[in-house]
Amino acid sequence: MRDFKLHRRQVFQGLIALSAVGGIAACSEQTNSSSDATADSAISSGLFDAADMALIAALSETLIPRTDTAGAIDAEVPDTLQALATDWGDEGFQSYWLTGLANLRTVLNERAGARFETLEHSQRGEVLSAYDRAVFDGDIEDGFYRDFKNTVIQAFYMSEPGATEALAYEPVPGEWIGCVPLSDYPKNWAT
Amino acid sequence: MAEFDVIVVGSGMSGGWVAKEMCEQGFKVAVIERGRSISPTEDYSDFINPWDVEHLNRKTAQDLEDYRIQSEVYAFQSYTRQFWVKDTEHPYETAEGTDFRWLRGYHEGGKSIMWARQSYRLSEIDFRANKTDGHGVDWPVRYDDLSPWYDYVERFAGISGSVEGLEILPDGIYQPPHDLTCAELDFRDRIEAEFPGRRVIPGRAANLTEPTQEQMDLGRGKCQARNHCFQGCSFGAYFSSNSATLPAARRTGNLTFISDRAVHKVIIEEATGKAAGVETVDTKTGERSRVTARVVFLNAGTIPSTMIMLNSASEQAPNGLGNSSGQLGRNLMDHHSGARGSAILPGHLDKHTFGRRPNGFYIPRFRNHTEEAEGFVRGYGYQGGAMRTSWWSAMDKKGIGDELKFDARTPGPWRISVVAFGEVLPNERNQIRLHPNKTDKWGFPIPILDAAWGENERNMVRQATRDTRAMLEAAGGIDIQTEDPETVEPAPPGIGIHEMGTARMGRDPSTSFLNKWNQSWDIPNLFITDGSFMSSGGCQNPSLTYMAFSARAANHAAELMKDGTI
Repeated sequence: MRDFKLHRRQVFQGLIALSAVGGIAACSEQTNSSSDATADSAISSGLFDAADMALIAALSETLIPRTDTAGAIDAEVPDTLQALATDWGDEGFQSYWLTGLANLRTVLNERAGARFETLEHSQRGEVLSAYDRAVFDGDIEDGFYRDFKNTVIQAFYMSEPGATEALAYEPVPGEWIGCVPLSDYPKNWAT
Repeated sequence: MAEFDVIVVGSGMSGGWVAKEMCEQGFKVAVIERGRSISPTEDYSDFINPWDVEHLNRKTAQDLEDYRIQSEVYAFQSYTRQFWVKDTEHPYETAEGTDFRWLRGYHEGGKSIMWARQSYRLSEIDFRANKTDGHGVDWPVRYDDLSPWYDYVERFAGISGSVEGLEILPDGIYQPPHDLTCAELDFRDRIEAEFPGRRVIPGRAANLTEPTQEQMDLGRGKCQARNHCFQGCSFGAYFSSNSATLPAARRTGNLTFISDRAVHKVIIEEATGKAAGVETVDTKTGERSRVTARVVFLNAGTIPSTMIMLNSASEQAPNGLGNSSGQLGRNLMDHHSGARGSAILPGHLDKHTFGRRPNGFYIPRFRNHTEEAEGFVRGYGYQGGAMRTSWWSAMDKKGIGDELKFDARTPGPWRISVVAFGEVLPNERNQIRLHPNKTDKWGFPIPILDAAWGENERNMVRQATRDTRAMLEAAGGIDIQTEDPETVEPAPPGIGIHEMGTARMGRDPSTSFLNKWNQSWDIPNLFITDGSFMSSGGCQNPSLTYMAFSARAANHAAELMKDGTI
């Protein structure tokens, strides 16, 4: 299981790299859904095609990058979103996400002057940071982006790497202490 | 010759106690439970990690359909749905213009698995309340009658709490309390300074903080501060029928536990007018059968016990069994909530908490006690907590990358949340009826719940909201959030999950259903010790009171059985 997870993380890093040379995006443009059997089998199948997943992976990792602790791809956030949209989401949710992602892709590509997922990590950060600021300062209305970002945050901090590395998690604390120095427990508890 | 000495209908909070007491007295007891048996290894979900939760814990369309009402309760999650009834299988109706959210679980242990474990005694003030202001009927007991039984059940169940010496909230036998957080201690000091007579104390919860030998002998262990209680507890660290009373009953060798059998009627022996047993239906096969005993205890829960008696109507008792008073099904109560508030408490940014407290703080009732009130009688108590805001505060907020990760991992300010639970007056108009022609899939008439809160409850929730605001302000709170105190309405009946009162006890058989021993005035070998008996509700969470009355009634019935009276 652990090996499988490692493998999946590599796949997502690979997906972004692949996008960087335009493979998936080109493919997606031709057929409106990926016909690249290799790419399809490399990602979890479901509502989002390979091109969507490449964008989701790029956005997630830009929102929550790997630093000294795990990032969104380490935590398989794109898979979690795929499963959520595919297995949990109803038609309304699915079309909201597909439309929302498509719009976000257009907007970000326009701002980037290139395909968002083909940018270097730092460039993606600049583009998304500016957009994020514009949305939360109220200059741009984008409810989908807000929902997307919240879902990524939730998926990451409920994941094992998110809960145990980025935050602190005690499955069985053993006791309750109402007042401890923050310096002893400086991170937020995952639950 | 009856098959059993005692039948106990229902295995929840109160039924477990009757079973334990009767088994320990040497009687052969049949507990008849309409739901399935619970196996901790299969049914408890207390070892689930955040990443084990499916779909980021969002409710599925199927859940919302199957559990339309149950899915609204805080303790309903994707990993606890096994403890809640499917609303599609257990329909009920509400009278036109009324609302009632009936929340329940049908399985071994009933709601004692999912309860919030808050355990407070009623006080002498509560037992005198009906007599004092004229609502309902006078309780046939006083605090002194119950005090030793509160001691008895607290010692066995294990309640964590602090001794405070308050008349409105009598002290009990406690294991060490859960600490207040630093922000709560500060809040306490400010509130108690600003409002003499108000107190902020640790919640009293049925979680073992220092288990006794008796508790450990039953396989129960110390609370591990996981706050996973409503998922079931593999440590047996909070009181439930499953962790405590049923194991105690089983080890006597006197318990027969019959699961998956719903009781529809109490059988009355024509010659004597006494209860002879119950009629049951197998909930899986539909097969009907009788179980007989010398004594019958109804502990199915307030609404189901009332339905059983209404459904046991006969020529001799056309309005329901034992209902010569006409009070059966009336005076349906709950606790009303709705006076909520929240605020940031500044300071203490160098402090944090460790562990997950299955509890909070409590502010005992002060209105119509240490402080006057306008527009209502009785009062309310508050439950709350103040914790540092956690990773979710990074949501709905600007920032990506390192900034977002920093926001998510860095504890935010202390945020306090409080909610008042208020007393609901006994009112004959609030009632349970059986539907004249609709039945459930087992052929049992479904109930019609007909309850609405009145001016007293409305005025109370508005004052409680004003008081919430004033306390949050006095504590130096910022970003104070409450409802508008001039327009707030009490939450609908049922939401408190403290339904009670529909077979009240009293001093007069013409105005009450039960005598002071929880014994039917009309049928001497029929007892009810679930919430139905409550003559008034107080504002305290009622389970501890059900436990005390159950133990007391069972021991009284045992005496009557031993001397041959019943």
